[in-house]
Amino acid sequence: MERNKTGIRRKILVFFVMVILMIGILIGRLVYLMIFCSDYYTQKAVDLHQRERDIKAARGRILDVNGQVLASNTSVCTISVIHNQIQDPEGVIAMLVKELDIPEEKIRKRVEKVTSIERIKSNVDKETGDRILAYGMSGVKVDEDYKRVYPYGSLASKVLGFTGGDNQGIIGLEVKYDDVLQGTNGKILTVTDARGIEVDKEGEVRKEPVSGYDLYISMDYNIQAFCEQEAEKAFIQKQADSVSIIVMNPQNGELLAMADYPEFDLNQPFALTKDAGSIQGTDSEMEQLNNMWRNHCVSDTYEPGSTFKVITAAAALECGAVKLEDQFSCPGFIMVEDRKIRCAKTTGHGAETFVQGIENSCNPVFITVGLRIGSERFYKYFDQFGLFSKTNIDLPGEAATIMHSLDHIGQVELATISFGQSFQITPIQLVTTVSSLINGGNRVTPHFGVRTADESGNTVETFSYETKKEICSEQTSETMRYLLEKVVSEGGGKNCKIEGYEIGGKTATSQTLPRSEHKYIASFLGFAPADNPQVLVLVIIRNPQGVYYGGTICAPVAKTVFENILPYLDIEKQSVESSETDEQSR
Amino acid sequence: MKKKTTSRKGERQSRDGRPKEIKYFDYNLLFIIIFLICFGLVMLYSTSSYTAASKFGDAAFYLKKQVMAMMIGFVFMFMLASIPYTFWKQFAVLAYAASVALCGAVIVAGRNYNGSQRWLQIGPISFQPSEFAKIAMIVFLAAFIERIPKQIAKFSAIIKVLAIIAPVLIIIAISNLSTAIIVAGIAVCMMFVASPKYSHFVALALLGIGAVAVFIMIESYRLDRIKAWLHPETAGDDGFQTLQGLYAIGSGGLFGKGLGQSIQKMGFVPEAQNDMIFTIICEELGLFGGICVILLFLLMIWRMMIIANNAKDLFGALLVVGIMSHIALQVILNIAVVTNTIPNTGVTLPFISYGGTSIMFLMAEMGLALSVSKGIRLQNIEG
Repeated sequence: MERNKTGIRRKILVFFVMVILMIGILIGRLVYLMIFCSDYYTQKAVDLHQRERDIKAARGRILDVNGQVLASNTSVCTISVIHNQIQDPEGVIAMLVKELDIPEEKIRKRVEKVTSIERIKSNVDKETGDRILAYGMSGVKVDEDYKRVYPYGSLASKVLGFTGGDNQGIIGLEVKYDDVLQGTNGKILTVTDARGIEVDKEGEVRKEPVSGYDLYISMDYNIQAFCEQEAEKAFIQKQADSVSIIVMNPQNGELLAMADYPEFDLNQPFALTKDAGSIQGTDSEMEQLNNMWRNHCVSDTYEPGSTFKVITAAAALECGAVKLEDQFSCPGFIMVEDRKIRCAKTTGHGAETFVQGIENSCNPVFITVGLRIGSERFYKYFDQFGLFSKTNIDLPGEAATIMHSLDHIGQVELATISFGQSFQITPIQLVTTVSSLINGGNRVTPHFGVRTADESGNTVETFSYETKKEICSEQTSETMRYLLEKVVSEGGGKNCKIEGYEIGGKTATSQTLPRSEHKYIASFLGFAPADNPQVLVLVIIRNPQGVYYGGTICAPVAKTVFENILPYLDIEKQSVESSETDEQSR
Repeated sequence: MKKKTTSRKGERQSRDGRPKEIKYFDYNLLFIIIFLICFGLVMLYSTSSYTAASKFGDAAFYLKKQVMAMMIGFVFMFMLASIPYTFWKQFAVLAYAASVALCGAVIVAGRNYNGSQRWLQIGPISFQPSEFAKIAMIVFLAAFIERIPKQIAKFSAIIKVLAIIAPVLIIIAISNLSTAIIVAGIAVCMMFVASPKYSHFVALALLGIGAVAVFIMIESYRLDRIKAWLHPETAGDDGFQTLQGLYAIGSGGLFGKGLGQSIQKMGFVPEAQNDMIFTIICEELGLFGGICVILLFLLMIWRMMIIANNAKDLFGALLVVGIMSHIALQVILNIAVVTNTIPNTGVTLPFISYGGTSIMFLMAEMGLALSVSKGIRLQNIEG
């Protein structure tokens, strides 16, 4: 027995030593994990425990050329409930029903839903949020947030655009300048448990948000408001589908106004206006909204009609295909191959010079000139004038020019192109190209954005835009200014004549496709002063009822605009002699 | 210092007039048990309070149940400590039969909890028969091996013993494989101590490794567990618990985040108060705290080694060896699992993990060990 016992003792000792060995290995493993892998696992654990909550950055404002605020922010609140933290669900429901004016069953459903966090309502005004916070009910969360506000409601709605729930621009300048306006969101890092509930005792790490920069644009609130008012008047008077008015500085491409009536309320961009709704009765709501938001000046192409004769004339002058004193004869139509193309005046203009041809907007004259230029040269000038590329305006959704390819341009196509038919461009393309032809031949980039500034108004960045020099000669440009001044003083644009000012311009009346519907787009493009253009105006009335001639219905609108904005822009009246010339020509 | 305490006690006993029959009681072990249990309760509360509060609305939900079980356990412990351990020898066969019966009953009428059928409901009390089986098999094996001290030197006797306990192992394994492995481990340890041979056990170990390999091959889900063990980060659900445990251990660092400061216990480590409690100890008390706990267990095992060495008979020695191997196996397996040293298998950390049945029977075992310590004659004390 004794020997047996010593044997057992030795075996117990061996057993104990083996236990110590194994425990030694485990301690080694523990040391490895807790000293050498500590950083790795700590980081992993922190990543797992920390939840990020964004603190929204205030979006930069949009201000007009005079510092008038066109878009800014107000503080709003988002109300949410955290299911697990609610102690008195009935109280919470009753309180939320009272404060938020939402039906009880809706709130009850959200409060009783088992989720980590449930949003009840966003865009609650600050006072309501503060009141809800004052109840001090556990499980109810009030997060401060910003909401975009547009003080002038529908003013320049299609230009400014609006933002969505995540502070991102949806249309207009809000999209184009999203990255400068947006700012950088801040962050709150909180520690949460496995269900995502914040652990209070752990505190939080804050990273403050950086506000977005303010955007200063070239738009002038007063001009914009006036143009919208005029557009609305014409819209009602002519029962049109829409009316667009663009006001641009042809020297540098700065846009002073871009009205596209009907506008919509930027503070309620998802509410269909009755005008937008009535046009597209059968479309889905989203399509209707898209139609309502559509900026026709930029996103829609149309056949420019006679305003395009400016481009034909410039191309012809540039290549020497025509001289001002060249003689033409108009019998009221012209034969191109087997087609008889009519002039607007069916009785014909008779014998006329090129100057008179443009004054009369005579189709046979321009067809003849167009055929003289020839399709290849014509095409080359289109390219040189920049018609084939987009204008690169700082607005989203710009449509491209729709033009025949060179090999498809026969004599008939060439003839129709010459007076602005059978192809399509956007209004902004027309405005930009004509501006470039009359400003001495510099292709400008149309734009609104001028500079960005921080909260205290210090300029952060001044935008510069590309100018393509010498798209036509100075000589041609001067001749064009002279010709277009003649159109207003002596020809079809006489309805835009303003005493004391030399105005250049061109009218147009184009029939939309299909021709059988007899729908028209009337337009007038004018600029002043004619010898040194400072402001260019394009008025487009789509589908006017009754009289549809651009010279009759658009030119007076442009005239009113000029009459008001020229003095406003401190563009002084011309010298006495020129006003005398005016008198004589009348 | 321990020697001093015992010898002083010895002197006082000697003044009672019976110098040859000096009574011994291992207070060191008792203090270690009490300390471990109190520490366990603190850690259980720290680990479980957050989830208990959100799940049951009572932060002390698990603590209360554990304290109840612990109090019953204390009664068991003192009862068993005061009854001479030889009393139980006669119930060896009954213990075997009861193990078979109870573990069999759990298969037929067990209560399902957390997806495994391990509990037996008797009136308001539910308990895990497999925990009872551990102590019962220790008593049975101690009594059985004591009767064949010479034969155990033969390999055939070892096989015979294993064959005898095989039915119990199989019945336990059906509902709780980990416990079956531990019971088998205890049996092997007891036989290892009783046998003078080493080679048999090397052979047995090789056999065991082979069996485990085959075992893994036949069931594909076990292969997944191996994959989860090797690459817990890419194993998805299988590796989730292990990975969360590693995050807890690793983020503890040298001295931990402080008592009660664990974040992993907030639902990240699943059922943190059970098998994974050691990970939270490491997170809160750091490497220092983790090693202290391990050393505390080592101290306990060392005390039991002293008792086993000095037990007055083979039955007592084997009884204590069984108990100490039980503790050692569970501690080693549990810590090996949570540190991802071995593939995941559900083993609780004795005295600390939540589990009423476990703590009650553990304390009963401690009572047995203390009872054995009482039989020691002081002169014979040997380390």
